Parts: sequence; structure tokens; C-alpha cells
Amino acid sequence: MAEEAKKLIQFKNIVKSFEDGTVVLKGVSLDIYENEFVTLLGPSGCGKTTLLRILGGFLQPTEGKVLFDGEDILSVPPYKREINTVFQKYALFPHMNVYDNIAFGLTIKKEPKDVIEQKVMRMLRLVNLEGYGKRNVTELSGGQQQRIAIARALVNEPSVLLLDEPLGALDLKLRKEMQHELKSIQQEVGITFIFVTHDQEEALTMSDKIVVINAGEIQQIGTPTEIYRRPVNEFVANFIGETNIIEGVMLDDDLVMFEDKKFPCKARGFEKNEKVDIVIRPEHLDIVPRGEGMLKGVVKSQLFKGMHYDTVVETRAGTSITVKMQVSQDKPVFNAEAGEKISASGFILDVADAASLSDAKVIALASAEAWIAETEENVSIKTVDYDIKPETGEYSVTFATAAGTSITVRALVVKENRVESTVYQEEIYAMNFFKKVEDIQESIALDTDLKMWATASAWSLEDENEQVEITDVKYDFDPETITPGVYDVTFATAGYEYKVSTTRAAEEGSEVGLVFRPEDIHVMKKGGHK
Amino acid sequence: MKQFRSMTYPYVAWITVMIVVPMLLIVLYAFTQSGNDVLTFRFTFDNFVRFVTDKIFRAVLWRSLYIAFFTTLICVLLGYPIAYAIAHLSEHGETVMILLITMPTWVNMLVRTYAWLGILKDDGVLNAFLGLFGIGPVTMLHTSFAVILGMVYNFIPFMILQIHTSLNKMDKNLLNAAADLGANNVQSFLRVTLPLSLPGVVSGITLVFLPAVSSFFIPKLLGGGQYVLVGNVIESQFLTSGDWNFGSAISMIMAVIIMLSMYFTRKIDVSVASGGKE
Repeated sequence: MAEEAKKLIQFKNIVKSFEDGTVVLKGVSLDIYENEFVTLLGPSGCGKTTLLRILGGFLQPTEGKVLFDGEDILSVPPYKREINTVFQKYALFPHMNVYDNIAFGLTIKKEPKDVIEQKVMRMLRLVNLEGYGKRNVTELSGGQQQRIAIARALVNEPSVLLLDEPLGALDLKLRKEMQHELKSIQQEVGITFIFVTHDQEEALTMSDKIVVINAGEIQQIGTPTEIYRRPVNEFVANFIGETNIIEGVMLDDDLVMFEDKKFPCKARGFEKNEKVDIVIRPEHLDIVPRGEGMLKGVVKSQLFKGMHYDTVVETRAGTSITVKMQVSQDKPVFNAEAGEKISASGFILDVADAASLSDAKVIALASAEAWIAETEENVSIKTVDYDIKPETGEYSVTFATAAGTSITVRALVVKENRVESTVYQEEIYAMNFFKKVEDIQESIALDTDLKMWATASAWSLEDENEQVEITDVKYDFDPETITPGVYDVTFATAGYEYKVSTTRAAEEGSEVGLVFRPEDIHVMKKGGHK
Repeated sequence: MKQFRSMTYPYVAWITVMIVVPMLLIVLYAFTQSGNDVLTFRFTFDNFVRFVTDKIFRAVLWRSLYIAFFTTLICVLLGYPIAYAIAHLSEHGETVMILLITMPTWVNMLVRTYAWLGILKDDGVLNAFLGLFGIGPVTMLHTSFAVILGMVYNFIPFMILQIHTSLNKMDKNLLNAAADLGANNVQSFLRVTLPLSLPGVVSGITLVFLPAVSSFFIPKLLGGGQYVLVGNVIESQFLTSGDWNFGSAISMIMAVIIMLSMYFTRKIDVSVASGGKE
């Protein structure tokens, strides 16, 4: 990619919107040089395939220009473009054998038979499928079909080859093999390859240049090392490889603060006290004894990966809240005289709710019901006797039927229970609750049920509508053998966690230190773009 | 799969009683003289000799094949463009068109053929219409035109549906690939679409040719007495002359012709599917 490389393809402010109003490309400008291996990388639906199809001539952009060798090619039909495509599922002609598939483009151009034969044979050799000419394409394996598709495109000697997720249908091992093969084919034929993929590893392995696209916009253009080492924003950092992104403040040139500590780094050009995002790759972190660490934390999990361990270290716990769970085993009261049974359970309510109570509401809260013992026919509850005030405290509530069958339960009025965390700018809320033994024993997803029973939720302090996930539910009882009593249940959000890729084994739950080098701290502007 | 084998026994029994035994009876009748009692058979080739040597019957056979051939040819020539056009409609349009094409088949074939009588006869709808322009009346009923028209009308839906299915099954990316490799629309059609839809055409041909060659009530109604086809001869042997042996022999000859034609169309089908090699 030296100075003499010339611009082969220029996308100028390409906009593509579809009839239903979705805008797939929002003004994409991109230069592609001769003999480059360019990868368009992005999640599915980001617009990368659309861009490729515009270049291939199968789609027209809504706005913008595509220059090929300096000339506008938008009005040129696909069959007249010096571009060939390897399609997602190869699109080999099933009614032709391997030879005829590869020869298709040449026969259309009416090249002489002997020339065609020479060229096809050369292509078969290039893709390592000599002697396969007479085979039926439908009998070939995925990898072989893939190579035929490449040969079929390359035989026309295009100046650009477009590859639309060509390795997507192959298994992992074959995919790796084909990555190497594609790269060596590109080097051998010496033309521009434009490769579309959502697989970041594929992009890093093969490309001279990676174009990261998201939501119809180019995020970053650069060599694989640039993209990996110096991502411009959170999206790129997250999309390319595993990463840790931490919020921090730039104190001065080469000095950054995060987790309330100052660290030297290699970053300039930021304003003093500018808020930034810090990127540290997992392989740039290492685990050391706690005392020697630049950051201290607890090992949350460790997975063995063969060459290394994927370790997660939590340096700071998330926001947590603990509530009381009252477990009861309420038996219905039996009134032999009237042949009726009545049942109700204790309940807990907020001060705010205690101010506006009605008989119906109290019956619902206590799930009170009465029935005739023999027939199980429901009997209505005639009187509800309570004196609940909007103040914290314990009150008793009595339910009775017309026949005088009655039951008394406890009601607790409590203050709203929330915990605020300024570090994480979030708030967590949960309530004490009553539950029956069998409800706990019968629960199939206890963590989820506990969250629901306690109406636990957490949200961002900056935006109350932004929910924060409660990742931890802790309790110290065995749900199988639980007995009536009072239990603590703790709900917590995720804290500061670091992914560490290390060869050092560490016990789960052990306290460790983390170290990293100044040059491995990459600083990004907040909400950075381009 | 072995444990399922016993489940096929009832079907095997059914097929034996309903298909194999009657076929064997036809073979038996074809090779014997009339007037057999149940236990003694007098074997003979007379029935076949009679069919082959009798000029009239040979003419009937030729006429049947000829009419069936033209019916099929017209069905292909008319049906392919229709199927192609339908396959290129929007999804909604496609559903409506397929519905419109299949709808007439919900009405009994006999009734639909009778309707053509009213249209084609000398004082029928069509001649009345032509009369407005001072043409006619043109005799249309009881001509080979009427017979072929009736057959095309009745059998063309099968052709259209078969071709449409094979066109629809085709991966649309193949056309993109052809365009990418330099083929214009005509070249794409001739080299990709057409060969890939041939299996549909072949099964369409089978579905049209077979009923056309053995049809007996369309020639009877629309051809009057003039257009006696093999189907009519067989019918009259069984129902009018009571010569079951001769009728069976003609049936067998037809069966062999049909089997041969199916064998050859299958062959085309296979060679198309396997890329023209073999």
C-alpha cells in the first residue's frame, strides 16, 4: 500500500433508503485502492452487504456516486462491470458441472474453446481442484463449492473481486483454512478483494484495511493493528475482540484517572479533566498477588481455554440491597360449627400504599379466601377488620365470614427500601415480602421469582427509564428444605469487572491484584466518532 | 426402520387387490379369446394382431397420439410464458393468479367441457359474436380444433403449475450470478432459467400428455362422431360391443406406449438434473 497505489473505487456519500423508510446507509464515503484486501466489517444489518451490492450493480443507491477508475459506474449494468462477485451461498449453477460453471463467463464472452480450456484449467489449479472439472457441483463439499465460486469469478480476470460473507457456511476448521487460502490467492492474482463479514477474527487475519460499519455509518477505517490497538469509540472497541471499557478522566497529558486512582499512560490531545473511555485489552492485564496490584479485586470466574485462562476479576462490588423474606406455612382455619374454612397470609406494604386502603385491596393483599369445607364452594368474606396507619409498624388484620369463621394475620407497613450508589450512578429497590414454604419449594427459577416477589429493580440515576440488570441474587437457605422463619435475600447489580486473559490460574473468590503497562491503556473520547 | 415394516402390510394388500389384480386381469383378457369360462383359458395373440393389422385402429392410434402431441405442445408454448410471468409477480399477485388458474378445476371437467359445446356450436356464443362483424357462422364443433381446444383448456393448469413450481424453486441469486459473470437478460434466461425449469416442463408434459392421449369424453363431446380416439375405442369395446378381450389388448398397447413415453421423459428429467452429463 505504498504511495504509488491508486484509487480504484470511490464511494461518494452513498445513501440508501428502502421504500418502507428504513435507511440502510447514511452517507458512506470510502476509497479503495488497487491490490488491497479490504474488509467491510459490521454486525448483521449494518449495511455492509448493501454497499457491496451497490458496487456489484445489483442495487441502486438513493443518493451518492460510485466511481470506478474515476468514472461514474452507476448507470453501468452488472454484466458490463469489471467486477465479479462470490455470493453468500456460492450460487453455483446446479445444472452444470464444475468446468462449465467456471467457463460460464468466458462462454458468454464467446472466447475460443481452447482459450477457455486453458483458463479454466489454470483456475482449477489455483484453487487446488485439478481434475474436478467433470464433477457435478452439487456433489462437492462446502469448501470445494466455495473454491469453485472463487474460480468462476476470478477466471474473468476482474480488477475487483467482491466476496459476500463467503465463509459463513463453512465449519470452523475449514473457515480457518480458507482464510489462509483466500489471502494467498489474493496475493497471487494481485487484484483488489472486497470482503464482507461480521466475523472480526476473519477481518483481522486477512485484511490490509478494515472498514468497521455500524448502523449504516463508517465507524473507523484502518489496518487491523490500528483498529485493534486504537479503536476510536466504544462500538469498535467492543466489536473487535474482547475488551474492558472503563470510564475515566484525563487529568493531564499522559495522566489518566479511573477507579479513583491516577495512572500514567500514553495519550495526548485531551482537555484537562475531560471525561474519557479507557480501553484495556484482556491480554494486556495480568494477575499478581494482591499487594503488588495496581488495582485490587476478587476473582469471580475462571474458564480454562487451553492456551490461557479467561478470568473475570471484580474490583468493586455492584450496588446491593438486602431484604427480609418471611416464610410461613399458613394452614386454613376450620370452623366446624359452620363447616367453613378460611385462609389468609400476612403481607407487607409501603407507607404510601397504607394511606389508601380499601377492604377489597386488603383481601387481595392477604389473598384471603373462605370456602365450605365439603363442597369447596366459595363463601364471601363479610367483614375485614383492620386499623392500618400510614406509619411504619406492625398491625393485625382480621377477616370473617357471615357465619363467624375468622382468621387474623399480620400486616407490616415499611418505608420504601432503596439504595443509591453514586459510583455507578444507579439506584436499586426491593421490598421485604411474605412467602409460603410451598411457593419456594415449587419455584423452578428461584432467582427470577425472588426478584419478582421482592419487586426488585435497579435503574440509572441519570435516566430513570434506563433499567440496570440485577445480576446477583444471594440467599443462605436451601430452597428444598426451607422451614418457616425470616431469611435475608440480597440483590445486587454488576460491579466493575475486568476480563483478564492470563496463563496464571487463580482460585474463584480469591483476592488478587491486576497490573498493566502505561502503553496498554488506550484512551478514547466520550461518544467518539471517526 | 424395521419395526415400521409391518405397518406397510395393509397398504401392500390394498395395492394388490385394487391395482395389481385388475392389471393382471387385463393382461389375462388381452391374451385370451372371448367366451372363456372361469377356469379354462384359450391363449391367443389375435387381439393384438387385429389391432396392428386393422387400418382403422392404426389410424385411431395415430390420431390420438397426434392430438395429444399438439395439445401438449400448445400447453408448453402457452403455459411457459404464463408461468414465467406469474413467477415474476409480487407475492400477492402470484397467489391471486395461481388461485385463478386452479379455480376452474374445482368444477367438474365434464361440465366445463359441456360449456364449450354452447360456445363453439354453429349458433353458439362465439359464432354470434363473429356474426356481429359479418363473419361466419364458422363450423368449429366436431373438428380437431375443438378437440384440441377442449384438451388444452382442461389440461393447461397442470402445465402452468408444474413450470411455476420449478421456476419458484430456483435460487434468485443464480440470476445475479449470471449477470455478474456478464450474461445479459436473454443469455441468463437461455443458460440458467430455462435449463433449470426443464424438470417442471417435463413433469408438465407427463401430466398433460397422459390424460390427453387416453381422454375419451372430450373427443366424444367436442369431436362428435368424427374424432374417435383410442379412449373412445376402448370405451366402446367394453360398453357397447362387449368385447372385453380386444378392449384389454388396446388398453395394454396404450399402457406400453405410455410407459415408454414416461421412461423417455424421465430420462430427459434425470439428465437435466445431473447437469446434462451422463
